Amino acid sequence: MSERVYLLPLWIRLWHWTNALLIITLTITGVSLHFADPKLPLVEFSLAARIHDLAGLALVAAYGFFVIANIVSGNWWQYVPKPPGILDRCMKQARWYLWGIFKGEPHPYPVTLEVNFNAMQALIYWFIMYLMMPTLLITGLIFMFPQFAPDRVFDMDGLLPVAVLHYLTGTVIVLFMIAHMYLGTTGHTVTTMFKTMITGWHEH
Amino acid sequence: MRVSGYRYLIALLLIGWGCPALAASDAPVDQTTIEMNRKANEACYACHSAAGIAKPPKADIDMSKLKDSRLEPTIYNPSDHGVMDCRECHSKTHYTDYPHAEAGKSETVGCTACHAAKVLRLEPQFNASVHAKVQGVKEKFTCFTCHNPHINIVQKRLQDPAKIVAQDNHGCLECHNSSEMFAKFAPEGEKTPGLKKLRPDIDTIHDWLPNAKAHWQSVRCIECHTPEVAENKMLSHEILDKEKSEKKCLSCHSANSTLKARLYRHMVKDEQQKYGFTNSVLLSNSYIIGATRHPLLDSIIIALVIATLLGVLLHGAIRIVMSLRRKKEESQ
Repeated sequence: MSERVYLLPLWIRLWHWTNALLIITLTITGVSLHFADPKLPLVEFSLAARIHDLAGLALVAAYGFFVIANIVSGNWWQYVPKPPGILDRCMKQARWYLWGIFKGEPHPYPVTLEVNFNAMQALIYWFIMYLMMPTLLITGLIFMFPQFAPDRVFDMDGLLPVAVLHYLTGTVIVLFMIAHMYLGTTGHTVTTMFKTMITGWHEH
Repeated sequence: MRVSGYRYLIALLLIGWGCPALAASDAPVDQTTIEMNRKANEACYACHSAAGIAKPPKADIDMSKLKDSRLEPTIYNPSDHGVMDCRECHSKTHYTDYPHAEAGKSETVGCTACHAAKVLRLEPQFNASVHAKVQGVKEKFTCFTCHNPHINIVQKRLQDPAKIVAQDNHGCLECHNSSEMFAKFAPEGEKTPGLKKLRPDIDTIHDWLPNAKAHWQSVRCIECHTPEVAENKMLSHEILDKEKSEKKCLSCHSANSTLKARLYRHMVKDEQQKYGFTNSVLLSNSYIIGATRHPLLDSIIIALVIATLLGVLLHGAIRIVMSLRRKKEESQ
């Protein structure tokens, strides 16, 4: 018999799914813009540009909400990997993903109300949410308002490093999203974690 | 582009006979001639410049008449015609003394006198242009309507794409962004009989174009409003209306960007894939999404995404197989 705990308040779930929808939209339109080619039938360029701009601004708003709500609710603390033994706990978690999970071993660090994320999760989520996302959003905003880009860099248009940084951080987020969606299937059953993100109730 | 048939024929014949005085040439003008011409032009600037108007050389001259015929040597000298004596075009016979004889006005030499071969080639293009097809507009057009011979510098000499854009778009926006100037050329409006056609708002008619203002600072109106152009060929003088003009973003925003044959055609020979970027000559002025890519970086990123997808698929497959094995062992 599994135990249930109310883990995720409504604001986190709403923010999470809004974020997910926006990032998927931005990925599809971003790929359509960057890899624009008459032989590649993706989203039509001008439509992709408009959607990407709107979804990008919505993501900035969603991120602003995330930061403020995290501060107000104290949820930011979940993203801080707590010493001692962060590296050891990460190694143990990695070993479980690479070996233990195949053997049917239980999660090394089960989720509790106090600690939602294992050390590896906290470290990666912190990197994504507090390093990659701000970089992605700031470079995206400069892309939208290029007058704020440096005039010239290495004798080329100053927007170039901004664009490359936007592309690279966007790629990191996409790679994270693929792994994140897959790791969502590693709960008690394949669908447990997805249900948690919808209902807020976590099953052990 | 009004060309008198008689003068046109004379000019062509003169070029045919090798008359250097009347044929535009790319050959450099020697320094002595340039200095001589500029010295001669000083007599014109004595009145026909801001300094001349502020401080007339004679007390009895009505300078108010010169407000539309003044020029600055700092602007004229670097222009394509800046090596020439003003009187090469503006009546050699009547504009040597003051007061100028009235007849001088009608003796201003047209573009055809020197550029006859080019005009011959461009005239059919102009005749197919939107400016020539609207009744009553063609007659009002001359080369000067779009090209200012006292200011303009040819693309190859101007080099900097930002300066080329500013110069060439000025030629279009001078009328298309000014209701007063537009009215000078506008025909009668279809919906407003007896009244001139109103100038369509430039922002409204381009509202389909994302970041329209950024485009106008980075590319010329003629990139979209002229027909397709082959590499190393001059852009057509057929200006296309909104129905015929380019609306496919990918014409510019793709690896095979048409901008290479347009705004950047004078730079394409220098393409060296700088820092590994495709179309790096475009990057000298603008980052153009879809056109200025880094193929190696793109390949690495595509490989990373594929590796991640394969990684999770493999992981998932092993999980399924191991889970089935465990269930089988448990049932035994």
